[in-house]
Amino acid sequence: MRLPRVQGSCPVRRLQVWRALSYAALILLAVIYLAPVIWMALTSLKSPYEATAMPPTLLPARVTVESYEALARSGSQAPVLRWLLNSVLSAVAHALLVLATAAPAAYALARMEFRGKRLVLAAVLATLFVPPILFLPANYLIVRSLGWLDSLPALVVPPAASAFGVLFLRQFFLGFPRELEEAAALDGATRLQVLWKIVLPLSKPALATLAVLSVLSNWNDFLWPIYVLFNPEKLTLSPGLALLQAAHSTDYALVAAGAVVASVPILAVFIAAQRYVIEGVARTGLKG
Amino acid sequence: MQRARAPETRGGPGRPPGRRELLAGAGAAAGLLLLGCRGEPVDVRDQAAIAAGGSRGYGGPAVELAFWTGFTGGDRLPMERLIERFNREHDNITVRMSVTRWGDFYQKMPAAVESGHGPDVAVMHADQLATAAVHRTILPLDEVTEALGLGAGDFSDTLWSAGVFRGRRYGVPLDVHPLGLYYNRAVLAGAGLGDAALPRSRRDYLAILEQLKQRGVQGSWVSPALFTGGLMFQSLLWQEGGQLFSEDGVRATFDAEAGVEALGFMLELIQRGYSPRDVGQDADSIAFTNDRNAFIWNGIWMINIYRATPGLKWAVAPVPTIGAQRAVWANAHHLVLARQPSAGERRLQASVVFLDWLSRHSLEWAEAGMVPARREARESAAFQRMTEQAIFAEQLPVVRFPPAIAGIDAVRASTLDLAVNEAVLLRATPRAALRRAAREADALLAANLRKFARAL
Amino acid sequence: MSAVDVPLVEPGQAEVDGGAQSAPGVGQLRGRGPARSRWWAPYLFLTPYLALFGLFVLAPIALGVWISLHDWDPFLPSSPWVGLDNYADLFRSGSPSRGNFWRALRATALFTALSVPVLVTLPLLLALALDRSFPGRSLFRALFFAPYVLGVAVVALVWRLLLDPHVGVINHLLGKVGLPAGTGWTTAVPWVWVSLVGMTVWWTLGYNTVIYLAGLQNIHREIYDAARIDGATRWQLFRHVTLPGLRPVVMFVVMMTVLGSANMFGQAYLVTGGGPGSETRTVIMYIAEEGFRSFRLGAAAAMSYVHALLLALVNLGMVLLFFGRGGDEEAR
Repeated sequence: MRLPRVQGSCPVRRLQVWRALSYAALILLAVIYLAPVIWMALTSLKSPYEATAMPPTLLPARVTVESYEALARSGSQAPVLRWLLNSVLSAVAHALLVLATAAPAAYALARMEFRGKRLVLAAVLATLFVPPILFLPANYLIVRSLGWLDSLPALVVPPAASAFGVLFLRQFFLGFPRELEEAAALDGATRLQVLWKIVLPLSKPALATLAVLSVLSNWNDFLWPIYVLFNPEKLTLSPGLALLQAAHSTDYALVAAGAVVASVPILAVFIAAQRYVIEGVARTGLKG
Repeated sequence: MQRARAPETRGGPGRPPGRRELLAGAGAAAGLLLLGCRGEPVDVRDQAAIAAGGSRGYGGPAVELAFWTGFTGGDRLPMERLIERFNREHDNITVRMSVTRWGDFYQKMPAAVESGHGPDVAVMHADQLATAAVHRTILPLDEVTEALGLGAGDFSDTLWSAGVFRGRRYGVPLDVHPLGLYYNRAVLAGAGLGDAALPRSRRDYLAILEQLKQRGVQGSWVSPALFTGGLMFQSLLWQEGGQLFSEDGVRATFDAEAGVEALGFMLELIQRGYSPRDVGQDADSIAFTNDRNAFIWNGIWMINIYRATPGLKWAVAPVPTIGAQRAVWANAHHLVLARQPSAGERRLQASVVFLDWLSRHSLEWAEAGMVPARREARESAAFQRMTEQAIFAEQLPVVRFPPAIAGIDAVRASTLDLAVNEAVLLRATPRAALRRAAREADALLAANLRKFARAL
Repeated sequence: MSAVDVPLVEPGQAEVDGGAQSAPGVGQLRGRGPARSRWWAPYLFLTPYLALFGLFVLAPIALGVWISLHDWDPFLPSSPWVGLDNYADLFRSGSPSRGNFWRALRATALFTALSVPVLVTLPLLLALALDRSFPGRSLFRALFFAPYVLGVAVVALVWRLLLDPHVGVINHLLGKVGLPAGTGWTTAVPWVWVSLVGMTVWWTLGYNTVIYLAGLQNIHREIYDAARIDGATRWQLFRHVTLPGLRPVVMFVVMMTVLGSANMFGQAYLVTGGGPGSETRTVIMYIAEEGFRSFRLGAAAAMSYVHALLLALVNLGMVLLFFGRGGDEEAR
């Protein structure tokens, strides 16, 4: 901790009090902030009736795992684990596709000269802020023509065309020291070799960051999957969990249990990876 | 990040792109359009004729049928049990059910069927058959029902005719599910009221609610959502002698005096303090299960949900007659056959075997909280023993269905449902809300008529 | 201050302007490296991405225009040409889409105007707190990011039950501490907006915080140290070192948040259902209803183009605002 400039007779004690207060404030803030999540987790352990009891209970009057059992039982109709798997597959495949297509394109746009470069850059930039709904009707027809409806490619491929990844990586490559590349080029390496052996290995933080951002955007996508996935076992978590909400009555304990099952793995991954993400973002284009 | 500077970069969108790039783009788009255009669809009547062959049973190689429904609530398990039984009884047919929320179901069904990812057999509401028919999502069933020997006599005239659109039959009724009056016996008893005091008329209803209010209970929560406020409104509208839409589907008529009266009654419940303001979706029902609400106008499908609620003392009755005549909202589930992208002769025949079997087992289906469509099931002693269902069934002579007009569900949802919502949440007077919604509905109906005239 | 900005802006700018007359030093590699690469190498590098870009970005933009010129129902055998009718309907009195579309646009604009300031400032404060090093910092960072990974479906369902006016936890707790307990969080104006903005802030706050944290890491410690030696107060440090250093990041956050807010759909769809009436029905929600529930894909496409155009104007305005003022400052 950087030492604040403290004046007065007893800097050490004041510092300790200040630190304790800061911690208390931060912990209080975090608890309030996470209250809905904690409440959700507690609700998943209540009976469906208690979940909507009036007045509401905080702690389960009687801890029960019946909602988890119901989830496991509902098998083919609400296969939460299958949705989780689909979400993971879709997000990971999406991220890999983004990396595989954006990295070489970004490198070409950052380091190579060719006819049409300005046009490509302008086109990609111009589409960056187009709202996704604009693509929805037409992409729906295109995906249908490709025979991808109700299958994973519909979730993986079209969103990978976004401008974000290319511009993000290009920014990183622009700030990359040229000396290494030049040395490799002197040794007779081709462009592909330079990219593969020098640039990409040194770009790991940027690639990791782009991967995480891609995973998250794919994971949170709600609108698109509603329209391109049909069968319950093909759904991902976002539209799947919305399915647990019945037409005229909602079993909140069941929804909460589904949410817990769905979020524990990704939360664990995030807690493990968060420092890497922040550093990755920092070392990438976000500096400007 | 640099990208935010985008619009500043020179050579941006303002610079004319090269001619070649433009041409290439146009070519790609044109190619896609051609892909997007549909070839001549497989003749639906041929398919229907093939399907009719299923009336003689299915003896071919094993097939697996996809069966789509929206049974997400207390109606899911009974249907799953029925399907298990069907699968046990049929060696060479396996039925797999997929459940989607009804709201999403009707958006997905045409897309799924058209792309070859759809079901073989599905359940649809009576008021959705017309839309599905013009979209060629489902097959006409005249040959099928004829081969199966089914007719109005097996159901009832109202029910049977609800499956017909533009002279052709598209659905075989599985059940009727009317609205009814659920009452909380513990709440009523707490106010010194017994079962005998059930409300039959407007005056009874208001008198009981007043008595409950004296005991501090708001007895009839009015919901702004379609479930249950919208269904309550439609029932009241018909009771006041009104109609949702004109017979030919050209005009919205829910804003006539009957509609204003109907919505006015719902507001009266709030203004007199019999219902709280700002009731959220499902809150009326949650309050009911928590002994905070005495009456709820809800669908028969809630039977299993309330039955599973521990400690809840409840019973059902026909909805009271608030207006000039008896009437109550109802809808019906129909069994339909989906159009197949390729001629799947065996699947079509097996589908008819399943459809016929399910229709004949509508008594078991009644356990889901439904009134069976089959007359013999309805009149059976076994059904009469299902107390609550039988009470709902008493209303059959006065049930009203939403009209069979293509695209009607979306029109109602985007106009009437919003008007009820606005009025119940005290954002507009009933008259103003209904009138605005009706004029909007008129325009949508006209556009739909033009559009769907192109189909079939 | 521009010392912080310069290295961030220069390379990109130089490259875009690049081409033949680019500054010496920047293009040094070109003399040797590309000599070894074939003329088609860059195209090869671009092909996979451009294939996707062409098929799923450019083609849909073109195809969408085509769709918007028809009365397009994907499940009818023919979709007749209607010219600009779908666009004209958005301005013609008596057409249902006019009132609905502009009302939906108003809802979206209101949501954006209410949520963006909070989503830009609050995460900045949080990031400043979480940027200091203290034991447990990583855990706190993860905690504040946690809601974001839950996904909109879960977040919305949890909040719908928390916020319900009569059976929800929040009004119950308010009542317990003696505050008004009858607020229509999901049913009445203006509370629906408070709810939607509040839950969106709760849900996405962590995302912007992470971006800010990254930005803070890039402000060189030496600048702080130098300023401190000059006797700068904390506020002066924040005002004259932190803020200018973060300017590009703030701008990025603003633009991404505006884009995200302008595309709000799931929260309103699942929590308020667009109500009361159509108060919280956002543009995206209305377009989705028109296109996929009413099967009026042509009208939906036309509306999405108008929406995109307006959004582009807003973005352009923001860029001018940022750079217009920024330029002045730098000139001084």
